[in-house]
Amino acid sequence: MTIYLDHAATSLLKPIGVSQAVSNAMRTMASPGRGSHRPALRAADTVLDCRIAAAELFHVEDPEHIVFTFNATHALNLAIFSLVHPGSRVLISGFEHNAVTRPLRAVGADVRIAGRRLFDRQALIDEFARAIPGVDHVVCTHVSNAFGYILPIREIAGLCRKHGCSLIVDASQSAGVLDVDQRELGADFIAMPGHKGLFGPQGTGLLLCGREGRPLLFGGSGSDSRQQNMPAYLPDRLEAGTQNACGIAGLLAGIRYVKEVGTAAIREHETKLLRYMCSRLKKDERIELFRGEDETQSGVLSLRCRGLDSETAAGMLGEKGVCVRGGLHCAPLAHESAGTLETGTVRFSFSPFNTEEEIETACSRLREMLP
Amino acid sequence: MKQMDLFLIMCRSLTHAQRSLRLLEHNGIVAAVVKAPQELRSNGCGYALRLYRHFEDAVRVLRTGGLLQGKLYRQTADGQFEEAV
Repeated sequence: MTIYLDHAATSLLKPIGVSQAVSNAMRTMASPGRGSHRPALRAADTVLDCRIAAAELFHVEDPEHIVFTFNATHALNLAIFSLVHPGSRVLISGFEHNAVTRPLRAVGADVRIAGRRLFDRQALIDEFARAIPGVDHVVCTHVSNAFGYILPIREIAGLCRKHGCSLIVDASQSAGVLDVDQRELGADFIAMPGHKGLFGPQGTGLLLCGREGRPLLFGGSGSDSRQQNMPAYLPDRLEAGTQNACGIAGLLAGIRYVKEVGTAAIREHETKLLRYMCSRLKKDERIELFRGEDETQSGVLSLRCRGLDSETAAGMLGEKGVCVRGGLHCAPLAHESAGTLETGTVRFSFSPFNTEEEIETACSRLREMLP
Repeated sequence: MKQMDLFLIMCRSLTHAQRSLRLLEHNGIVAAVVKAPQELRSNGCGYALRLYRHFEDAVRVLRTGGLLQGKLYRQTADGQFEEAV
């Protein structure tokens, strides 16, 4: 039996309607915005439905401010290259993914880091409050992909408003699991993948725009074709080239599932699994768990196995049918903050489709293989 | 029998056209999203809402909903388009 516990990378287990929607789209939908025939308009209707569903879920006032991307990395690059210039002073948390730190390096930003203590939200708020004066932009993850640490994003958004700096939120691990409210945060941009907590297929992502952005890609938009500049208005401005209509159809089905079940119920289930797994492993001295309080940790659990490299451990678990991810999770900064840069961790991440029985089996297989 | 008038409400993008269409349909007004005739689009490709009746009601609904942004046209008997005020 394969037990999939790598939802922080991609949610493999999805609502049945997702694959049905993708399959249906492949058979019936053409390119949205490229014609007025029925297959094109059918695709366009689905794309609009997905914009509206996302706008409702994330409290974005105007569905035209929902931009489709290939993934969260694409969305973060759009946001960062829209706002940040060489020499811009940018404050980030100590738990950012390379999808944040690499574009900031590429653009030549002056990056400062605050809040490096794992699961210590108050310390992070205090450090941000001290570091934010004089900062131009804040880029901050909502949840650490490596540790499931839920950062105090509302308080950070409040500090940004108070000090007049812009805010980009990386909601890669929180979208579909926690309440992500653009209206409340007032963020300039919120970036997220479609293929994790929103259950869409790979190749989908969203950028929630609180302002006009700067294009990264230039090309056809199906609008204003005689103009050689990209259209001035969203979403066309940031959506050059043919849309992933089939992926978006699947994403729509995924978002509808999240709306139907509710993020509170999803979070409750994942927390239950997290607690259960911790209860099964906490007495084993061969295992070091990275565990916060319930309110500071989402459905992601990192651990280290004494005497066993994290990549090796993840590989051995994979051979036993337990799908997890070892190493640095493309977040060396987060591991440096947590003191795990040299070893990495083995990351287990849960979804609404996992069960306690699966967690029990995964724990048993983990214990069996430890030296 | 008198031929029905054809009206076009220009939209800046496909997304805008679709949202406008849905608002009209919600208010019981039948319309369709079409590619705008090139002669009416100085910037090139674009979309419009096409409708044959309830033009004034449609304009009022879109204006109230904050979605009336483009020009309005009526097709004349010779097939040409003139701005409708």
